Amino acid sequence: MAKARARTTTRKTKDKWKAKTWYQIAAPSLFNNVLVAETLAESPDSLIGRITQVSLQDLTNDFRKSHIKLLFKVDKVEQTTAHTQFTGHVLTSDYLRRMVRRRKSRVDGTFTVETRDGAILHVKPFAITEKRIQSSQKKLIREVMKDTIAKEGSSKTMNAFIRDCLDGKIGSEIYKHCKIYYPVKRIEINKTEVERGPTVVIEEEPPKPPEETKPAEAPAAPEAPAPEEPAPAAPELPSEPAAPELEAPAKEPETPAEEEITAETTEDEPKKKAKPKAKKAKKTEEEPQA
Amino acid sequence: MARKGIAHIYSSFNNIIITITDSTGAETVTKCSGGMVTKSAKDEGSPYVAMRVAQVAAEAALEKGFDNVNVLIRGKGGKKGGTPGRGAQTAIRSLVRAGLKIGTIEDVTPHPHDGCKPKGGKRGRRI
Repeated sequence: MAKARARTTTRKTKDKWKAKTWYQIAAPSLFNNVLVAETLAESPDSLIGRITQVSLQDLTNDFRKSHIKLLFKVDKVEQTTAHTQFTGHVLTSDYLRRMVRRRKSRVDGTFTVETRDGAILHVKPFAITEKRIQSSQKKLIREVMKDTIAKEGSSKTMNAFIRDCLDGKIGSEIYKHCKIYYPVKRIEINKTEVERGPTVVIEEEPPKPPEETKPAEAPAAPEAPAPEEPAPAAPELPSEPAAPELEAPAKEPETPAEEEITAETTEDEPKKKAKPKAKKAKKTEEEPQA
Repeated sequence: MARKGIAHIYSSFNNIIITITDSTGAETVTKCSGGMVTKSAKDEGSPYVAMRVAQVAAEAALEKGFDNVNVLIRGKGGKKGGTPGRGAQTAIRSLVRAGLKIGTIEDVTPHPHDGCKPKGGKRGRRI
């Protein structure tokens, strides 16, 4: 009985499967519209509202960012390309669980911030301290988080703010200020959620300089065969202007988080084996380090 | 034809269900569960059945052109306990054996941030 039923359902789905067409999902402009995934649907309308999860490692080729997951929601379909909006990011649960240890405190917070271009974001940082701390100290750290996020958020556009969150700049900014109250081991933005997209279109400041410099190079270029130089510089990322931007911040966090590098090189090896046993081995490996 | 999908593995003590979807999770490529490969209910959650289930699912996925998957694995979750069941490890191993490339493995068991009181009373289950 069960087998017969299973056979009929598979036949049905196969027919439907062939009728569907494939669509490419492009990342938001924040990530240079790189094609990140593929999906299939009967009609383009049914694509709208789908959410895909992409690791930041796939976008930047930086294996230290493999614990950050980005959520992209499809909002517009052109021919066979689905365009997406950034709806938030999350850290993977195993990364978070690794951080939390005995005799250490964890400080969480949830803050709502309105960016310069009118977007409303929920930002959820978390901090791990060197030792177990009192709740009054936790309160102070939380206050610092609140102030820095409000300050950074309201002075930047949504894209710039999110880029800083992902690079760890906001985290290091909070770290600087709460050092006075208690030494904090690690601060990261655990989660962001976009409640409302930007309402006002503000030309971003950071992308402008490279655009201005490039046209300046271009007129000089025809004399010497230089114009091809920028192209090989960004082979993985198709659109040129913002490409150096993404690469540059990726290198920066090396200095504030040196432990991170050591912690994650060990993590990468078992991943290649792709077996849960390796996953468990990883956990045991890290405990002696601490 | 290197399509990337997601393998959702739900592994409880009594059963295993593998659903392979496209990268958005909206379109199901194939699914298979313990009851589809064995007849005895007590075996549905066993590692051997998990292996067979994973093989069936992986073959169907490869046929449709998916050769890359990210694995999301979960156990019962909630107040019923956090760790994935006994078939979870074998399922992943046999997905690899069947020829699928595995990108990332993540545990997505839903954990309560302190919710309902688990069954069993104050002093636990007494047999």
